[in-house]
Amino acid sequence: MDNEVKTLHIANALLLPEVIKLLNEGHTVTLPLRGYSMRPFLENGRDKALLRKAEDVKVGDPVLAEIHPGHYVLHRIVDITGEQVTLRGDGNLGTEQCQLSNVKAIAIGFYRKGRETLDSIKDRKWRIYSWWWVRLLPLRRYLLFAFHPHIPRRWKKKS
Amino acid sequence: MKTKTGFRLRNVCGENVIVAEGIENIDFSKIISMNESAAYLWQQVEGKSFTIDDLTRLLCEAYEVDEETAKADSQTVFQQWLDAGIAEE
Repeated sequence: MDNEVKTLHIANALLLPEVIKLLNEGHTVTLPLRGYSMRPFLENGRDKALLRKAEDVKVGDPVLAEIHPGHYVLHRIVDITGEQVTLRGDGNLGTEQCQLSNVKAIAIGFYRKGRETLDSIKDRKWRIYSWWWVRLLPLRRYLLFAFHPHIPRRWKKKS
Repeated sequence: MKTKTGFRLRNVCGENVIVAEGIENIDFSKIISMNESAAYLWQQVEGKSFTIDDLTRLLCEAYEVDEETAKADSQTVFQQWLDAGIAEE
């Protein structure tokens, strides 16, 4: 029996219901993030979200939502009409729809780039970034490319 | 010796993990998981006072192991719990 630090990869469909259970018990949860859909603010495998049970969410909030049974996303709310919520990841062009009842948690802040200090969604950094990034939607395709040039490598690199 | 109050063993997606229920934030980027035998010991002594001899006896009851090895393993596992901050003297 020895101590070792290892990384456990657990499918969202298995892990997130447990996370939601804990949130509903009144805890907050720190969750490591994967994926590219919240670029440029958040990066795959690098950042973590601080989640709280969702209550009174509004447009602009980054939330954890179950958009199909077992399928979860952590994206920004871009519209709420009645019970219908529209989400768009900051790194995405497309949107998802769900009901308010499918919005399970709100990310109240992020731990980015290995830092211990929280980038809260109440702070200026997030609010200024959000203001600009949402407004620049017509240019998003080009901005994402500029931040993350993504030309598939065709030939093998010489070592 | 005893396990610290508020630390409970939960099964999350097939892993035996220690969740600090007294603490507000659960950090999934740093969780303590236990293998089967450590989890068994924890379950038996959670919330109660125990000694190394108790752990040794529990191991011998459940596993085919000689007492000396069981005692050494018990000491190791208790030290790990102390270091992880989930148990106290």
